This record gives sequence, structure tokens and C-alpha cells, in this order.
Amino acid sequence: MLSCKELVAHSSDFLDGQLSFRERLAVRTHLAMCRHCRRFIRQMRLSQAVLRRLPDTPIPELDALSARLAKQRRDDLVS
Amino acid sequence: MSPADDDLLPRLLAGEDRAFRELIGAYQGAMRAVAYAIVGSRHADEVVQDAWLAVVRSLNGFQGRASLKTWLLTITANTAKSRLRHVRREVLLDDLPAPHGTVGGERFASDGHWLTPPSAWHEDSPEALLNESELRECLEKTIASLSELQGSVLVLRERQGLELEEICNLLDISLSNVRVLLHRARLKVFATLEHFEETGQC
Repeated sequence: MLSCKELVAHSSDFLDGQLSFRERLAVRTHLAMCRHCRRFIRQMRLSQAVLRRLPDTPIPELDALSARLAKQRRDDLVS
Repeated sequence: MSPADDDLLPRLLAGEDRAFRELIGAYQGAMRAVAYAIVGSRHADEVVQDAWLAVVRSLNGFQGRASLKTWLLTITANTAKSRLRHVRREVLLDDLPAPHGTVGGERFASDGHWLTPPSAWHEDSPEALLNESELRECLEKTIASLSELQGSVLVLRERQGLELEEICNLLDISLSNVRVLLHRARLKVFATLEHFEETGQC
């Protein structure tokens, strides 16, 4: 039987679908019985979602860079 | 969301300013993470600039076999690698201390059960959590505290949505190393969110 500590150690692989069939079964069996670990996995998923939605830092000089690259491309087209 | 390749490509080929703007907006974050992982923070911006020039120069050669994103990231990785005088042989699995720690052994009893189980959080949607501007800053600090490789792997997986295999190929590191880096980084992010939910401050 998987311990809570082991479940935490396997949690990323569980979320990424990197576990073997047997390991996944062991994790699911543990989760069915342990509310602390269910909460942990739920909060790990929530942390993932928070990271995904964290606003991007603005790109400095986006306009200048895009204008420069587009011009380079147009110059390449002519030559 | 990233623009569709078949919409973007003809406009890029025609040299349209706005198409390049969309391309940069969509992918520069991922390119920077790749460069950061390979050459470190000091040269990452230079590598990204060089990679953009290489992208424009080789635009005619883009075959559409891979997605634009994969193609851009491959060019970025190659640009970064050519910058390294010595190819890194050992992957640095440095685990630097994070502002709010991690989910460490002290959380568990000797039999492996939780000693300090996770507590309930006040908010259960990412939008509600991110409404707190202090939490956003706090998370940015935690991400900045990660080693260059650990932070990049986290960004590429969680923010840029790359598959683990793509990360291995771009950064020349094994799948098991990617898994270790990602797991450690995630636990630190978890610890920051947990700390913030418990104390209301960073």
C-alpha cells in the first residue's frame, strides 16, 4: 500500500500520465481512501491552472522588433 | 491563444508587420525559456534576438512538417547550443531553496502518513486566486528563485504546454531528469500558494 509520502513523490508523474498501469492503480486506490491526498492532488492541479493563467510579462519593444523582422523579410523577398 | 499556423504563415512570408507581432507575442515567452535553460539568464536575450533573425532568414525553408512553434523552439535551442563553447555534459539538478520551501519530509510521520496535511484553501478557482495581485508577485518571486533549468522546465511545461518529450529533445536532458526538475519546481509553487492561503501574505 502506497504511503501519503510516496503518493506526493509520485504526484507529478501521476498528473503527467507518466506512471505505469500498476503505479496508477496504486495512486487511485490510495486517493479513494485518503482525503488529505485527494486535497493535495486537487491543490496541485489548481497550482498548475494558476501558473497557466499567470499574466505574461510584457515583451519590451515588441513593436520595434516586429517592424524590424518584417522589414528584413521584405528585403529578403526583393533581393 | 496561439494563432493558427496556416493563417500566420502566408502573412509572415509576405512580410506583414502584424503577422510578426502576433508571432513574437505568441512564442517569445517559450523561446526565452528555452534559451534561458541552455545559456542562462545572462545571454538568453541575445540568443532570442539571434534566433529571430535566423527564423526570418530561413522562413522560405519552413516545410510545415512540424508546427511553427516547434520549428521556432528548435531554432532557438540550436542558436543557444552554438553559443556554448562546451556542451554541458552534466545536467545541473541544483535544487535551490525557494521562498516558502517545498513539501518536504517534515510534513510526514515516520510511517509516511501526513503529519501536517494540506489545509483547505479559501479560493478554489485559479481566477479567484489570481485576483490577489500580491499572490501574483509572490509566485513570480518563487519562479525567479528556481534554478535556470528548473524554472525553464516549469515554464515550458505548465505555461507553454510542451510535452515532456519535446522538453527533453530541446534541452538535451533525459526524461527522468525532466520529471525530477518539474516535480521539485511544482512542489515549490504549491508551497507558495499554500503559504499565501494560510497567512494571506507572501
